[in-house]
Amino acid sequence: MSGSAIQDKVARLLSKQYGKPAMKAAKPLALKNEVANRKLKKGEATCVTEMSLLMACWKQNDFNNALCSKEVSTFYTCVEKAQIKAKGQQGTQGRLLPKEANTLLKRFPNLASEI
Amino acid sequence: MAASVRYLLKPWTPSLCFVRWSRYNPYYLDPDPSKDAVPESELSPEQKELQELKTVRPIKAALSSDTSSPFNDPLMSKFINMMMEDGNKILARGIMTQTLETIKRRQVEKYHKSPAAKREEVECNPYAIFHQALENCKPIIGLASVQKGGKFYQVPVPLTDNRRRFLAMKWLITECRDNKHRRTHMYEKLSQELLAAFANEGNVVKRKQDLHKMAEANRAYAHYRWW
Repeated sequence: MSGSAIQDKVARLLSKQYGKPAMKAAKPLALKNEVANRKLKKGEATCVTEMSLLMACWKQNDFNNALCSKEVSTFYTCVEKAQIKAKGQQGTQGRLLPKEANTLLKRFPNLASEI
Repeated sequence: MAASVRYLLKPWTPSLCFVRWSRYNPYYLDPDPSKDAVPESELSPEQKELQELKTVRPIKAALSSDTSSPFNDPLMSKFINMMMEDGNKILARGIMTQTLETIKRRQVEKYHKSPAAKREEVECNPYAIFHQALENCKPIIGLASVQKGGKFYQVPVPLTDNRRRFLAMKWLITECRDNKHRRTHMYEKLSQELLAAFANEGNVVKRKQDLHKMAEANRAYAHYRWW
């Protein structure tokens, strides 16, 4: 669909010439110079198994951290790995991140009017 | 009258002095105020990379509280800053020095009173006691409030190192400010709390254990997390 065809269709939808208009333009029918922030994948809780092991150890040893040092260290390593993974995942899918897209659009916006 | 006139004769010094702004471009690296340079051969490949990076990247200005002396301890500086009120660093540092002195005195007394066999176990270095006490106060798991289905649940969550250190210091300071007799000084109460935390007793460690117990009680909600 070319640009002018879209404009014609919109004009026909809004016109009152052929009875009631099909739609009301509450907001201006133009793209904004920013993109919505959203994450496609819904994440999941990381390190739950290590946490449950640690809590089992605590239950056994009455919350004495000296006796549970091994579980504690495994939990910390798991948390570190999860953090590194979360950081690395962000920009590698091939798509532009919403934040980056917004920065670029701010620098090179779609001009709505000539000033 | 003479004093007020003399006040006008003193040399003019600016009442405001410039302070290092804390917001830098993330491109800037942190400064390293220590004087001793490790020889090239002993560095791991990551550290060598870091050294090379330092020759290229710009570095932030050093804080006026960071010195190159061997007594400069970043953990101690952080604790003193947290204790400070209204910018009175002199008072906060004074309290800290008095605390360390009190700890040292107590430990030396204990050392001399204990039999020869047990003397080696008594830790006399107040800095070591401070570090170990803070380690004993740090929580391992924290709780975060997560909304699910209209209700808020306390979900057990792993904490970052900075958050853990902050919580330990905050608990210590609030404990020493609130739960003391009005006539005991801050340094006395702080030294008591630090020695108790060093031995894994006392109110701060109890607070940490309570947090762990709450996290353990709420372990069913651990899957409500999405990070």
